[in-house]
Amino acid sequence: MNPLAFRLGTVALLASGTLIVVLTFLMPLARLIGLSFSAPSGPFAAYAQLFSDDIYARVFVNTFGIATVVTAVALVIAFPLAFALTRLSRTWRGVVFACVLLPLWISVLVRTFSWMLLLERNGPINRFLVASGLTDQPLALLFNHSAVLIGMVHVLLPYAVLPIYAALVRIDPGLLRASEGLGASAVTTFLRVLFPLSLRGVATAATFTFLLALGFFITPALLGGASSLTLSMLIDGFVSDRLDWPLAAAASVVLLAAALAVVAITARFISIGAIAKVHP
Amino acid sequence: MSTVQFAGISKSFGTFRALDPTDLDIPQGEFLTLLGPSGSGKTTLLNICAGYLVPSAGRLVVGGRDVTALPPRLRNMGMVFQNYALFPHMTVAENVAYGLTVRRLAREEIARRVAEVLRMTRLDGYGDRAIRELSGGQQQRVALARAMVIQPDILLMDEPLGALDRQLRKEVQLEIRRLHAARPRTTIYVTHDQEEALVMSDRIAVMRAGRIVQIGSGTDLYERPVDTFVAGFLGESNLIAGTVSAIADGRATLVVPGLAQPLEGRAADGLSVGAPASALLRPETVRAHAGGLSARVAERVYLGELVAVRLSLANGHDLWSRRLISEWNGRDVVEVGWDASAISILPNVLV
Amino acid sequence: MTGRLALNGFVALVAAFLVLPILAIVPAAFSAQSFIRLPPETWSLRWWGEFFNDASWRLTLLTSLKIAAFTTLISVLAGTAAALGIARSGPRSRALLTGLFLGPVVTPVIVLAVAMYSMARATGLVGTVTALVIAHTMLALPFVVLNVGVSLDGLDRRLLLAAAGLGAGSFHIFRTVTLPLIVPGVVGGAVFAFVTSFDEVVLSIFLAGPTVKTLPVRIWEEIRLEYTPVVAVAATLMLALALAAAGASRLLSRR
Repeated sequence: MNPLAFRLGTVALLASGTLIVVLTFLMPLARLIGLSFSAPSGPFAAYAQLFSDDIYARVFVNTFGIATVVTAVALVIAFPLAFALTRLSRTWRGVVFACVLLPLWISVLVRTFSWMLLLERNGPINRFLVASGLTDQPLALLFNHSAVLIGMVHVLLPYAVLPIYAALVRIDPGLLRASEGLGASAVTTFLRVLFPLSLRGVATAATFTFLLALGFFITPALLGGASSLTLSMLIDGFVSDRLDWPLAAAASVVLLAAALAVVAITARFISIGAIAKVHP
Repeated sequence: MSTVQFAGISKSFGTFRALDPTDLDIPQGEFLTLLGPSGSGKTTLLNICAGYLVPSAGRLVVGGRDVTALPPRLRNMGMVFQNYALFPHMTVAENVAYGLTVRRLAREEIARRVAEVLRMTRLDGYGDRAIRELSGGQQQRVALARAMVIQPDILLMDEPLGALDRQLRKEVQLEIRRLHAARPRTTIYVTHDQEEALVMSDRIAVMRAGRIVQIGSGTDLYERPVDTFVAGFLGESNLIAGTVSAIADGRATLVVPGLAQPLEGRAADGLSVGAPASALLRPETVRAHAGGLSARVAERVYLGELVAVRLSLANGHDLWSRRLISEWNGRDVVEVGWDASAISILPNVLV
Repeated sequence: MTGRLALNGFVALVAAFLVLPILAIVPAAFSAQSFIRLPPETWSLRWWGEFFNDASWRLTLLTSLKIAAFTTLISVLAGTAAALGIARSGPRSRALLTGLFLGPVVTPVIVLAVAMYSMARATGLVGTVTALVIAHTMLALPFVVLNVGVSLDGLDRRLLLAAAGLGAGSFHIFRTVTLPLIVPGVVGGAVFAFVTSFDEVVLSIFLAGPTVKTLPVRIWEEIRLEYTPVVAVAATLMLALALAAAGASRLLSRR
């Protein structure tokens, strides 16, 4: 086959997919960016409003704060879990892996709803606490930061585990043996050989988890409510309640810019291939 | 003191016996090679010495201390792995220094020792390089340096030269030999390459199917192999099968079907009259001999420094001759012979 | 030794944390009362009857399935072709294209929702099946491309060379060598596309209308008000579908 025909074939194959991406993804986004500059009182009015108002600043801080905490907690749980996975026997590894992968197939709505049922005033946890005498009154477990954190960590944990596991599994076991043979204790081998070699996976896990946490909508909305407003909820409010499109667009652009900044900063340290591995 | 004693060491994996109960004494400073095909148990024995495998039975005594149950990191043994196992996230110097930093030596001391060992392995100036920048031969030397710098009681090497090409392998073999001569350290070396074993070792232990078949110097093994397996494994050999007809004064007579004359040679242990055995003739001893066996020149192979000639005997059996110059240029039917001292009668090894 | 035990205990705890809370919705669906109580005081199939007898709930279920089907069809066709195209491209194009197709994955979903909603309003497509199919396809496409891409990466190029050497033309090679070997990736991508569409909430919330509403959207609306166990029934159905898909995917990767 001559090179030109090959090239044309490649273009033809890419045509429909590229068209879909451009029409459904790039175009709406471009339009949204344009919308953010279309406030009646001036092109930058919407942005000015966003950055001047104190309430919005607190929402930004809250969003980033939650994302950071959730990522940190998820990593702290994910690393030992991934490490243990590499040590388990084949059957147990399959079982635990299934437990990690299964939630990824289930809608975030269903996963969040289950936490609503568990944490509500008449839910099983509260009833247990009252019945066992640990508290007099049912606790307000919902509609606060903790509920949002628990829910988000629960949803995001699999995304944190998989890239770390992928990195750990690729480490040559001979290296650990060599370290041992040279006199290092298990702790030293972990700190000086295993952990440094797993950092890429940890960075990938952190990036992915943080990105997802930043844009989370369902979970904070249902579990946090008005007490824990995130940027995504704010945007939803601008669109649904206030019908203020320039403001909604501007806030969306800010969120998008934050996401892009995260990707840009971490792109050097993470392996894109690991993201492919994350999805079952 | 770094003597090594294996007493009754054996290893089984479930029903599979990897190593039969083995006794082995290694004096201080000896370079011992465990030589054998895959599955002979040589790597198992090495890993038991290092502590990566726990023996099923037996005791391991190093320098008078029973270390059988001791974990690897407390054994102070330097190991060079087959694939080097160099830490990819550390430089050459950091890799070499690793065992020393674990031992919490002073920084100046570490720097001094690392510099010295890099010089010894001809890697000076490479300290700051990343591992992936190095060639296979250089990586191998880093692995060696890392094992040696901790001044181990025992040096263990598991087929370290397998990944190198032939020329480089020969160079490194001589280098290891030189390093050992400069500072003799008890060394156990595992390989399947008999030439390598002969180049580097003080003693060689030939292993097969989980046991040591024969142990001795290269000369011992080459000139006085105990059976056809060792004979075949070390050096080129002609083995002619037959039946023992007589044994007397350390010499035996072998009757070979198809040959008019029986073969007579040095008797190895374990022969009995009437039992099957083989005659061992090293190809370099097979030469033209007036009045000797009649043979036909079947093939001539030019090997550079040698000429190998395949001679076909009357009974159809082949005899290889390898000599510096061929005495059989252009001749078809010849008469072959050998020195009476150059032939041994050996017991056949059980398949 | 105790370290090992502690680690295994930790693993068991985390595994339970991951799976057990989700299962909470199942008993909720079998409550006899008109409020949810976990575990139910009396068990009954009452609300299952309510769900399947209610035309509006049935409609949302059918709408979800219909949209998921269309989404799967389009994204599998376009995504497989795109993955093939990427595999044929040079390294720099490949990096660019991969970044392009993975764009929707790294973009916050609310941003995508607002962008799509704005576009849908401008084109009068709010509350239509078309809008939802377009939105879901946008989300599902990257996963098909990834899945098929992984399959293609595992394809030994020398098989294609061997086939060519034996005289096969390019289309024949594609049909008889490439295609059969990437089928697991394609089918895996299809399963993932279907579930992505069926599970999708945020974009669907904005793009839904009074007559065109997916199951997750209906659940979302209900749980923000007073809800009865019928919502748990709907959620359990979604859970069942997800389990079926996970199982199917597992079977596929075995082959």
